[in-house]
Amino acid sequence: MERFYELEGLQPKVGLDETLKGMDCYEDSPVYEEVVDEYREIYESVMEMLSPVGVMGFGELPKEIATEKYKAGTPVLYVVTSVGKAISAASTQAFASGDYVRGMLCDAMADAALFSLEQIWQKQLRKVCAEHETGILRRLEAPQDISMESQKVAWEYLHLQERFGIGISSGYMYDPVKTTCQIFILTQDTGIFKAQHDCRNCPNVTCRHRNIPKTELTVTRSNVTEKILLEEGESALDALVRSGFFISAPCGGKGRCGKCRIKILSGDAPISEGDKKSLDKAELAAGYRLACCLFPKDDLEILLDLPDESEFDVVGDILEEQKQEPQKQVMQGGTQTERAWYDVAVDIGTTTVAMELLEGETGRILHTVTFINGQRAYGADVISRIQAFVEGKKEALKNSIRKDLFSGFCRLMQESGVSSASVRRIAVGANTTMVHLLMGYDCDTLGVYPFTPVNIGLIKSTFGELFGSDLCDAEVTVLPGISTYVGGDIVSGLYACGFDETDEVSMLIDLGTNGEMAVGRRGQIYTASTAAGPAFEGGNIEWGTGSIPGAICAVEIGADHTAAVRTIQDREPAGICGTGVVETAAELVRCGLVEPSGLLDEEYFEEGFPLATTKSGENIVFTQKDIREIQLAKAAVRAGIETLLLRYGVEKEQVAHVCVAGGFGFRLDVEKAFAIGMLPEEFRGKIRTVGNSSLSGAARYLMDSRGDDRLDALVGMSTEISLSADPDFQEFYMEYMMFGEE
Amino acid sequence: MAETIITEISEFLQKGRAKNVKALVQQALDEGMDPKVILNEGLLDGMMIVGGKFKKNEIFVPEVLVAARAMSAGIAILEPKLVEVGNEPVGKAVIGTVKGDLHDIGKNLVVMMLRGAGFEIHDMGVDVAPEAFIEKAEEVGADVICMSALLTTTMPNMEDLITELKTRGLRDKYIVMVGGAPVNDTFAQQIGADYYTPDAASAAEKAKEAVMAKKAS
Repeated sequence: MERFYELEGLQPKVGLDETLKGMDCYEDSPVYEEVVDEYREIYESVMEMLSPVGVMGFGELPKEIATEKYKAGTPVLYVVTSVGKAISAASTQAFASGDYVRGMLCDAMADAALFSLEQIWQKQLRKVCAEHETGILRRLEAPQDISMESQKVAWEYLHLQERFGIGISSGYMYDPVKTTCQIFILTQDTGIFKAQHDCRNCPNVTCRHRNIPKTELTVTRSNVTEKILLEEGESALDALVRSGFFISAPCGGKGRCGKCRIKILSGDAPISEGDKKSLDKAELAAGYRLACCLFPKDDLEILLDLPDESEFDVVGDILEEQKQEPQKQVMQGGTQTERAWYDVAVDIGTTTVAMELLEGETGRILHTVTFINGQRAYGADVISRIQAFVEGKKEALKNSIRKDLFSGFCRLMQESGVSSASVRRIAVGANTTMVHLLMGYDCDTLGVYPFTPVNIGLIKSTFGELFGSDLCDAEVTVLPGISTYVGGDIVSGLYACGFDETDEVSMLIDLGTNGEMAVGRRGQIYTASTAAGPAFEGGNIEWGTGSIPGAICAVEIGADHTAAVRTIQDREPAGICGTGVVETAAELVRCGLVEPSGLLDEEYFEEGFPLATTKSGENIVFTQKDIREIQLAKAAVRAGIETLLLRYGVEKEQVAHVCVAGGFGFRLDVEKAFAIGMLPEEFRGKIRTVGNSSLSGAARYLMDSRGDDRLDALVGMSTEISLSADPDFQEFYMEYMMFGEE
Repeated sequence: MAETIITEISEFLQKGRAKNVKALVQQALDEGMDPKVILNEGLLDGMMIVGGKFKKNEIFVPEVLVAARAMSAGIAILEPKLVEVGNEPVGKAVIGTVKGDLHDIGKNLVVMMLRGAGFEIHDMGVDVAPEAFIEKAEEVGADVICMSALLTTTMPNMEDLITELKTRGLRDKYIVMVGGAPVNDTFAQQIGADYYTPDAASAAEKAKEAVMAKKAS
């Protein structure tokens, strides 16, 4: 049996709260916002600096470090993990140059990253101990439980120098500093597994991460039971997420979406206001509660049974619909002529899917269906989908989108009365992650540096292959992407805007969470993606919401500082959607209620600026934090535009056409985008909102006899510019964080 | 008018407004004010107030960091002028984490506060041998030697430095200060160090006080 195991899949996680806690920074700090801004700014580069490694090795306690209790020869397991040297060097360097906030953040982030690895290696620890048929009696850490010399023993035994280049000082400290060593005392009793760090035994009483737990949650999911400890004041949702349980919470744990429900098996969990809003009486009686509204005072046993249960029977659903389909075709098929043929264009968005039926001969759009991407149950954004994938939801995610597409296809056929068999080709535009999930490719590498996709090229498949159905024998083409960040949806957009067919400089800007953009003309195109965040979709905004009826979408602030709002479908105000967010920011700036720096007027600083009142009498407000969110988002977009133009070597005036894509972009009043500096004034009069350009690109491709060649050419002439490491981008980003001139 | 600018510099620094501090320092220079006054009565005065509040637990580490960043921005503009007029620092300090010890965050915070107290700093980094401390102190004509240790296994190296100073007949030439999680007053006295301080702000305050007292005597 193996004695040494190098640790795999060490993907460190760095969380904002964890980091700030590590440097004594809490929400009530007057500089909280500034520290958060800095954190956001350096987050990506910090993640790139981390180079996690780790190894475990079975051995025996040598006499140098043996004690009365643990004698020489006692079987032990050494575990050493590290996040590398670069991050500490960055901290030191920042301190030396007077950037103290950044220096301290780097250090705290390194700690958070190092601690986060434990969640990963604990699983492997369990596995190898099972293989070796051994239990764990105690966990020892130097210097509190065992002498510092034990670090040298582990260092030699695990060959850390040769293996990872980890050095050791004369004081037995590891270099890199952000390295930990645990020594586990083993036992033959496999029923004992005391592998967790227990703060109760730790002498470091001033440690900011010290957690003397009051409550314990016993969590069961898919027949596996685990115990987790709650920190004081922590919700069950936060504790679960922190402990590595994936739970979908699109509203961000505010008790609004009802997605994070869990079932209480035993223990006392009072019904919260959030529970009453989201769950019905039967569910409450059955013990369901929202994890985000649950702050347990006593130990609880809980069951996580969602959304896993809904994943079953996926294949069955598809088969059922297939069985019904032929009959309907018989009924409806009569109106179709023998020769007519059709194409279907598809856009798979992270949030919504759109499908369009095209008349083959003319390319005329006959019918369109749109629906929510069912994968939303596994998280609102790309990152959480990848995480769900990594956590074993590969098949579920694949089945979800395939089932959605199949149902959408059937609807398209039924509602238009077209025979499935007459569909000749299907073209799909989608971002790289959506393509991976659709095709069932491994997504592990998409979320971690260097973000390598499994396949970015043009994919040719068939209806039968994707949906296991012989309803039609259409060829399915998935449009190629340029990189993990600039995917087939953008290539499709470039196609739709005809970037490869004109010598005038065009720009394509997709105003979504990932903020993809491109500048170019025939022969050369530069693309980039800029993490604008979810603010344009109402995400991370106190009262933010999607474009639902009742969402505030237009705002005017009068001279007396009262707001007049318009809502979608003129319903009672329920929240603020992306355009409402931009309009509110623009109006607050115009009225001088927000300083150019983004500071909200003193009068509204605490409670936020009131926009409207909900049906139940709650104030819908726009807060200082919301302003910060929109600042981050618009600065990212603007800095992306500026950097791309700079790299491409053209002035803003030279750009002839600006295509603004995406649902948010479609509804956005571009004047407001100028007002907050998201788009440069030089673009005035050149902007065309193109809506879902991924869908229209796919449609155009289908109509084009040389479609494959054009795709080939488009990808060939495109170069991705990485913004995260670009110093000009950083500078622009800071510059455009402000509203207007300073 | 002049006084207002200086007060504003101090106040903006306390709030951590780097941009305002920079602009005001520039304005003060443009108006022909003495860079030493801008430094001592504006920037360093602000940092002293920040340090005092930190010691009293009125504010916490993040506020100090943001304020110190503003100070640093102000000093960057002022520095060339200070050199021109030949500004003398409060004192010179050689500082580092002792041999065998690689922790540097605590030491970095002390460096930050010492800068804020007007010291010229010679930061030796981590894993610094006693001889290296002493040679640097001799070379730059330091007033203070500050040592940090975070481990009980590396604490003895602090004593080694003091022994070495004595051997070379230099013990009285320098003020020796020690700090770090496992260090305390008793230990400092045991090894014959001059001062132990529990936090970065106190360290800077004590260093300044000790240097001024020594120079006066």
